[in-house]
Amino acid sequence: MAAAAEKTPMMVVVGIDDSEHSYYAIQWVISNFLSVHGTFKLAIIHAQPSPAYAVGLSGTVGFFGAGTADALPYVESDLTKISSRVIDKAKELCSANSVKDVVYEVIEGDPRNILPEAVEKYHADVLVVGSHGYGAIKRAVLGSVSDHCAHHAHCSVMIVKNPKPKH
Amino acid sequence: MAEQENGATAEQTAAKMKAEEEGMRVMVAIDESDGSLYALSWTLDHFMAASSTLAQPRSLIVFHAQQPFQQFVVPAGQGVFVSASVTDSMRKAQEENSAHVLAKAIKVCEERNVIAEALVMDGEPKEMICQAVQQKSVDLVVVGSRGLGKFKRAFLGSVSDYVAHHAKCPVVIVKPPKEDH
Repeated sequence: MAAAAEKTPMMVVVGIDDSEHSYYAIQWVISNFLSVHGTFKLAIIHAQPSPAYAVGLSGTVGFFGAGTADALPYVESDLTKISSRVIDKAKELCSANSVKDVVYEVIEGDPRNILPEAVEKYHADVLVVGSHGYGAIKRAVLGSVSDHCAHHAHCSVMIVKNPKPKH
Repeated sequence: MAEQENGATAEQTAAKMKAEEEGMRVMVAIDESDGSLYALSWTLDHFMAASSTLAQPRSLIVFHAQQPFQQFVVPAGQGVFVSASVTDSMRKAQEENSAHVLAKAIKVCEERNVIAEALVMDGEPKEMICQAVQQKSVDLVVVGSRGLGKFKRAFLGSVSDYVAHHAKCPVVIVKPPKEDH
Protein backbone atom coordinates (compact mmCIF):
# COMPACT_ATOMS: atom_id res chain seq x y z
CA MET A 1 0.00 0.00 0.00
CA ALA A 2 1.62 3.22 -1.13
CA ALA A 3 1.95 5.93 1.43
CA ALA A 4 2.46 8.38 -1.37
CA ALA A 5 -1.03 9.71 -0.86
CA GLU A 6 0.20 11.15 2.43
CA LYS A 7 1.33 14.38 0.82
CA THR A 8 -1.56 16.54 1.90
CA PRO A 9 -0.14 19.14 4.25
CA MET A 10 -0.37 18.16 7.85
CA MET A 11 -2.25 20.67 9.97
CA VAL A 12 -0.64 21.24 13.32
CA VAL A 13 -2.23 23.40 15.99
CA VAL A 14 -0.03 24.49 18.88
CA GLY A 15 -1.65 25.89 22.01
CA ILE A 16 0.56 28.29 23.87
CA ASP A 17 0.56 30.46 26.93
CA ASP A 18 3.06 32.79 28.46
CA SER A 19 5.42 30.19 29.77
CA GLU A 20 8.73 28.60 28.90
CA HIS A 21 6.90 25.31 28.43
CA SER A 22 5.10 26.75 25.45
CA TYR A 23 8.15 28.15 23.70
CA TYR A 24 9.93 24.89 24.30
CA ALA A 25 6.96 23.06 22.78
CA ILE A 26 7.05 25.22 19.66
CA GLN A 27 10.76 24.65 19.25
CA TRP A 28 10.43 20.93 19.87
CA VAL A 29 7.69 20.54 17.30
CA ILE A 30 9.63 22.49 14.71
CA SER A 31 12.87 20.59 15.30
CA ASN A 32 11.55 17.10 15.73
CA PHE A 33 8.23 16.82 14.02
CA LEU A 34 7.85 19.34 11.24
CA SER A 35 11.33 18.63 9.98
CA VAL A 36 10.23 15.13 9.08
CA HIS A 37 6.88 15.76 7.54
CA GLY A 38 7.38 17.34 4.16
CA THR A 39 4.49 19.73 4.01
CA PHE A 40 2.66 21.16 6.94
CA LYS A 41 0.65 24.12 8.10
CA LEU A 42 0.99 25.53 11.53
CA ALA A 43 -1.52 27.42 13.65
CA ILE A 44 -0.27 28.86 16.89
CA ILE A 45 -3.08 29.65 19.25
CA HIS A 46 -2.76 31.69 22.37
CA ALA A 47 -5.71 31.49 24.72
CA GLN A 48 -5.85 34.82 26.46
CA PRO A 49 -7.50 34.50 29.84
CA SER A 50 -10.54 36.68 30.23
CA PRO A 51 -9.98 39.46 32.77
CA ALA A 52 -12.72 38.38 35.12
CA TYR A 53 -11.22 34.95 35.16
CA ALA A 54 -7.73 36.22 35.73
CA VAL A 55 -8.77 38.53 38.51
CA GLY A 56 -11.40 36.60 40.37
CA LEU A 57 -10.40 33.04 39.64
CA SER A 58 -14.15 32.65 39.80
CA GLY A 59 -14.83 31.40 43.24
CA THR A 60 -12.29 33.01 45.48
CA VAL A 61 -14.94 35.11 47.08
CA GLY A 62 -13.79 38.02 49.09
CA PHE A 63 -10.16 37.77 48.17
CA PHE A 64 -10.22 40.63 45.74
CA GLY A 65 -13.43 42.04 47.08
CA ALA A 66 -14.63 45.48 46.23
CA GLY A 67 -12.81 47.27 43.49
CA THR A 68 -12.49 44.16 41.40
CA ALA A 69 -14.61 45.73 38.71
CA ASP A 70 -12.32 48.75 38.67
CA ALA A 71 -9.32 46.56 38.17
CA LEU A 72 -10.76 44.90 35.08
CA PRO A 73 -9.70 47.47 32.48
CA TYR A 74 -6.14 47.40 33.78
CA VAL A 75 -6.09 43.65 33.86
CA GLU A 76 -7.48 43.55 30.34
CA SER A 77 -4.76 45.78 28.97
CA ASP A 78 -2.11 43.81 30.81
CA LEU A 79 -3.43 40.60 29.38
CA THR A 80 -3.47 42.08 25.90
CA LYS A 81 0.14 43.16 26.32
CA ILE A 82 1.10 39.72 27.49
CA SER A 83 -0.66 38.17 24.52
CA SER A 84 1.22 40.40 22.09
CA ARG A 85 4.46 39.44 23.71
CA VAL A 86 3.60 35.77 23.53
CA ILE A 87 2.74 35.97 19.85
CA ASP A 88 5.87 37.99 19.11
CA LYS A 89 8.03 35.37 20.75
CA ALA A 90 6.26 32.65 18.81
CA LYS A 91 6.88 34.57 15.58
CA GLU A 92 10.55 34.89 16.42
CA LEU A 93 10.85 31.18 17.03
CA CYS A 94 9.21 30.39 13.72
CA SER A 95 11.29 32.81 11.71
CA ALA A 96 14.48 31.69 13.43
CA ASN A 97 13.64 28.25 12.11
CA SER A 98 12.46 29.45 8.70
CA VAL A 99 8.99 28.17 9.30
CA LYS A 100 6.69 29.90 6.87
CA ASP A 101 3.14 28.67 6.69
CA VAL A 102 2.00 29.87 10.09
CA VAL A 103 -1.20 31.41 11.38
CA TYR A 104 -1.17 33.15 14.74
CA GLU A 105 -4.32 33.65 16.73
CA VAL A 106 -5.19 35.07 20.11
CA ILE A 107 -8.53 33.95 21.44
CA GLU A 108 -9.94 35.08 24.72
CA GLY A 109 -11.32 32.46 27.00
CA ASP A 110 -10.64 29.15 28.61
CA PRO A 111 -7.91 27.18 26.86
CA ARG A 112 -9.68 23.94 27.64
CA ASN A 113 -12.47 24.99 25.30
CA ILE A 114 -10.49 27.10 22.91
CA LEU A 115 -7.96 24.48 21.91
CA PRO A 116 -10.39 21.69 21.01
CA GLU A 117 -12.43 24.29 19.11
CA ALA A 118 -9.33 25.42 17.26
CA VAL A 119 -8.73 21.79 16.33
CA GLU A 120 -12.17 21.71 14.72
CA LYS A 121 -11.78 25.07 13.05
CA TYR A 122 -8.43 24.27 11.47
CA HIS A 123 -9.20 20.58 10.89
CA ALA A 124 -6.04 19.83 12.78
CA ASP A 125 -4.29 16.52 12.46
CA VAL A 126 -2.31 17.12 15.61
CA LEU A 127 -2.74 19.36 18.64
CA VAL A 128 0.44 20.25 20.48
CA VAL A 129 0.51 21.55 24.01
CA GLY A 130 3.22 22.12 26.56
CA SER A 131 3.11 20.03 29.66
CA HIS A 132 1.87 22.13 32.48
CA GLY A 133 -0.70 24.32 30.94
CA TYR A 134 -1.18 27.80 31.89
CA GLY A 135 1.13 29.63 34.17
CA ALA A 136 1.95 29.45 37.82
CA ILE A 137 -1.30 30.79 39.20
CA LYS A 138 -3.63 28.67 37.23
CA ARG A 139 -1.76 25.44 37.43
CA ALA A 140 -3.30 24.78 40.81
CA VAL A 141 -6.81 25.68 39.77
CA LEU A 142 -7.13 24.21 36.31
CA GLY A 143 -5.50 20.89 36.75
CA SER A 144 -4.16 19.94 33.42
CA VAL A 145 -5.15 21.71 30.23
CA SER A 146 -3.15 19.17 28.33
CA ASP A 147 -5.10 16.42 30.03
CA HIS A 148 -8.40 18.00 29.04
CA CYS A 149 -7.24 18.39 25.47
CA ALA A 150 -6.07 14.79 25.36
CA HIS A 151 -9.59 13.76 26.28
CA HIS A 152 -11.57 16.16 24.16
CA ALA A 153 -9.65 17.13 21.07
CA HIS A 154 -10.72 15.07 18.10
CA CYS A 155 -7.24 14.55 16.81
CA SER A 156 -3.95 13.18 18.00
CA VAL A 157 -2.46 15.11 20.87
CA MET A 158 1.20 15.78 21.45
CA ILE A 159 2.16 16.77 24.98
CA VAL A 160 5.64 18.23 24.97
CA LYS A 161 7.28 17.99 28.33
CA ASN A 162 10.09 20.26 29.22
CA PRO A 163 12.83 18.12 30.68
CA LYS A 164 14.15 20.96 32.80
CA PRO A 165 14.06 20.01 36.45
CA LYS A 166 11.28 21.69 38.36
CA HIS A 167 12.06 23.90 41.30
CA MET B 1 18.32 45.16 19.89
CA ALA B 2 16.00 43.21 22.08
CA GLU B 3 14.81 41.42 18.98
CA GLN B 4 18.31 40.43 17.99
CA GLU B 5 18.97 39.08 21.44
CA ASN B 6 15.82 37.08 21.43
CA GLY B 7 16.62 35.84 17.94
CA ALA B 8 19.99 34.61 19.12
CA THR B 9 18.44 32.84 22.04
CA ALA B 10 15.92 31.21 19.76
CA GLU B 11 18.69 30.00 17.50
CA GLN B 12 20.69 28.73 20.41
CA THR B 13 17.69 26.80 21.61
CA ALA B 14 17.22 25.42 18.12
CA ALA B 15 20.85 24.37 17.91
CA LYS B 16 20.70 22.79 21.32
CA MET B 17 17.59 20.95 20.40
CA LYS B 18 19.16 19.65 17.22
CA ALA B 19 22.11 18.39 19.22
CA GLU B 20 19.78 16.67 21.62
CA GLU B 21 18.03 15.26 18.63
CA GLU B 22 20.97 13.02 17.93
CA GLY B 23 19.65 9.53 17.73
CA MET B 24 16.19 10.47 18.89
CA ARG B 25 14.70 7.42 20.56
CA VAL B 26 11.04 6.87 19.90
CA MET B 27 9.01 4.25 21.69
CA VAL B 28 5.56 3.04 20.71
CA ALA B 29 3.52 1.05 23.20
CA ILE B 30 1.59 -1.81 21.67
CA ASP B 31 -1.20 -4.01 22.91
CA GLU B 32 -3.63 -6.23 21.06
CA SER B 33 -5.81 -3.33 20.00
CA ASP B 34 -6.00 -1.98 16.47
CA GLY B 35 -5.60 1.47 17.94
CA SER B 36 -2.06 0.79 19.00
CA LEU B 37 -1.13 -0.64 15.60
CA TYR B 38 -2.51 2.51 14.05
CA ALA B 39 -0.42 4.52 16.52
CA LEU B 40 2.61 2.61 15.29
CA SER B 41 1.81 3.33 11.64
CA TRP B 42 1.27 6.96 12.51
CA THR B 43 4.63 7.13 14.22
CA LEU B 44 6.34 5.48 11.27
CA ASP B 45 4.76 7.91 8.86
CA HIS B 46 5.27 11.08 10.84
CA PHE B 47 8.39 10.56 12.86
CA MET B 48 10.38 7.94 11.05
CA ALA B 49 9.37 8.54 7.44
CA ALA B 50 12.18 10.75 6.33
CA SER B 51 14.59 9.38 8.90
CA SER B 52 17.14 8.75 6.23
CA THR B 53 17.15 12.41 5.29
CA LEU B 54 17.79 13.54 8.83
CA ALA B 55 21.29 14.26 10.03
CA GLN B 56 20.87 12.02 13.02
CA PRO B 57 19.25 8.62 12.78
CA ARG B 58 16.20 7.90 14.86
CA SER B 59 15.64 4.63 16.58
CA LEU B 60 12.34 2.96 17.26
CA ILE B 61 11.38 0.70 20.12
CA VAL B 62 8.20 -1.32 19.98
CA PHE B 63 7.12 -1.93 23.52
CA HIS B 64 4.68 -4.41 24.97
CA ALA B 65 3.80 -4.94 28.59
CA GLN B 66 2.63 -8.31 29.76
CA GLN B 67 -0.02 -7.94 32.39
CA PRO B 68 1.04 -9.41 35.70
CA PHE B 69 0.03 -12.96 35.62
CA GLN B 70 -2.58 -13.60 38.25
CA GLN B 71 -3.12 -16.97 39.66
CA PHE B 72 -6.72 -17.81 39.49
CA VAL B 73 -8.77 -20.47 41.00
CA VAL B 74 -10.28 -23.13 38.80
CA PRO B 75 -13.41 -24.69 40.19
CA ALA B 76 -13.33 -28.30 39.32
CA GLY B 77 -15.66 -30.87 40.64
CA GLN B 78 -15.40 -31.47 44.36
CA GLY B 79 -12.78 -28.99 45.22
CA VAL B 80 -11.26 -25.80 44.11
CA PHE B 81 -7.63 -25.81 43.22
CA VAL B 82 -5.01 -24.24 41.06
CA SER B 83 -3.30 -26.67 38.86
CA ALA B 84 0.33 -26.12 38.03
CA SER B 85 -0.31 -27.19 34.48
CA VAL B 86 -3.09 -24.64 34.11
CA THR B 87 -0.77 -21.92 35.36
CA ASP B 88 1.91 -23.00 32.96
CA SER B 89 -0.37 -23.12 29.99
CA MET B 90 -1.79 -19.71 30.86
CA ARG B 91 1.68 -18.28 31.00
CA LYS B 92 2.56 -19.91 27.76
CA ALA B 93 -0.56 -18.55 26.11
CA GLN B 94 0.33 -15.10 27.38
CA GLU B 95 3.82 -15.30 26.00
CA GLU B 96 2.55 -16.52 22.69
CA ASN B 97 0.12 -13.64 22.65
CA SER B 98 2.89 -11.14 23.33
CA ALA B 99 5.05 -12.68 20.64
CA HIS B 100 2.16 -12.48 18.21
CA VAL B 101 1.47 -8.84 19.04
CA LEU B 102 5.10 -7.90 18.64
CA ALA B 103 5.49 -9.88 15.43
CA LYS B 104 2.61 -7.94 13.92
CA ALA B 105 4.21 -4.70 14.98
CA ILE B 106 7.63 -5.57 13.65
CA LYS B 107 6.04 -6.52 10.35
CA VAL B 108 4.41 -3.10 10.08
CA CYS B 109 7.82 -1.54 10.66
CA GLU B 110 9.48 -3.75 8.07
CA GLU B 111 6.90 -2.78 5.49
CA ARG B 112 8.25 0.72 5.82
CA ASN B 113 11.86 -0.33 5.95
CA VAL B 114 12.27 0.61 9.56
CA ILE B 115 14.20 -1.59 11.93
CA ALA B 116 12.70 -1.56 15.37
CA GLU B 117 13.79 -2.98 18.68
CA ALA B 118 11.20 -5.06 20.47
CA LEU B 119 10.90 -4.76 24.21
CA VAL B 120 8.68 -6.71 26.55
CA MET B 121 8.25 -6.06 30.23
CA ASP B 122 6.18 -7.78 32.86
CA GLY B 123 3.81 -5.62 34.80
CA GLU B 124 1.04 -3.07 34.61
CA PRO B 125 1.27 -1.50 31.15
CA LYS B 126 0.95 2.08 32.31
CA GLU B 127 3.71 1.76 34.87
CA MET B 128 5.93 -0.32 32.64
CA ILE B 129 5.69 2.19 29.82
CA CYS B 130 6.88 4.96 32.09
CA GLN B 131 9.62 2.79 33.49
CA ALA B 132 10.81 1.84 30.04
CA VAL B 133 10.95 5.53 29.13
CA GLN B 134 13.37 6.07 31.98
CA GLN B 135 15.42 2.96 31.49
CA LYS B 136 15.83 3.29 27.77
CA SER B 137 16.22 7.09 27.72
CA VAL B 138 13.28 7.42 25.42
CA ASP B 139 12.82 10.85 23.89
CA LEU B 140 9.26 10.38 22.71
CA VAL B 141 6.62 7.85 23.68
CA VAL B 142 3.58 7.15 21.53
CA VAL B 143 0.41 5.49 22.72
CA GLY B 144 -2.96 4.81 21.21
CA SER B 145 -5.89 6.51 22.84
CA ARG B 146 -8.07 3.68 23.95
CA GLY B 147 -6.45 0.29 23.89
CA LEU B 148 -8.99 -2.45 24.35
CA GLY B 149 -11.86 -0.27 25.46
CA LYS B 150 -14.82 -0.06 23.17
CA PHE B 151 -15.88 3.43 24.08
CA LYS B 152 -16.39 6.38 21.81
CA ARG B 153 -13.48 8.44 20.68
CA ALA B 154 -13.93 11.05 23.36
CA PHE B 155 -12.92 8.62 26.02
CA LEU B 156 -9.29 8.36 26.89
CA GLY B 157 -8.00 5.05 28.09
CA SER B 158 -6.46 4.77 31.52
CA VAL B 159 -3.06 3.81 30.18
CA SER B 160 -2.80 6.77 27.82
CA ASP B 161 -4.06 9.07 30.52
CA TYR B 162 -1.52 7.76 33.01
CA VAL B 163 1.34 7.96 30.53
CA ALA B 164 0.37 11.51 29.54
CA HIS B 165 0.72 12.54 33.16
CA HIS B 166 3.66 10.50 34.30
CA ALA B 167 6.03 9.89 31.43
CA LYS B 168 9.14 11.98 31.73
CA CYS B 169 9.36 12.75 28.05
CA PRO B 170 7.02 14.13 25.38
CA VAL B 171 3.96 11.97 24.77
CA VAL B 172 1.85 11.55 21.67
CA ILE B 173 -1.63 10.14 22.03
CA VAL B 174 -2.72 8.94 18.63
CA LYS B 175 -6.43 8.91 18.02
CA PRO B 176 -7.86 6.61 15.39
CA PRO B 177 -8.75 8.19 12.07
CA LYS B 178 -12.15 9.79 11.85
CA GLU B 179 -14.71 7.29 10.74
CA ASP B 180 -18.04 8.51 11.94
CA HIS B 181 -18.82 11.86 13.38
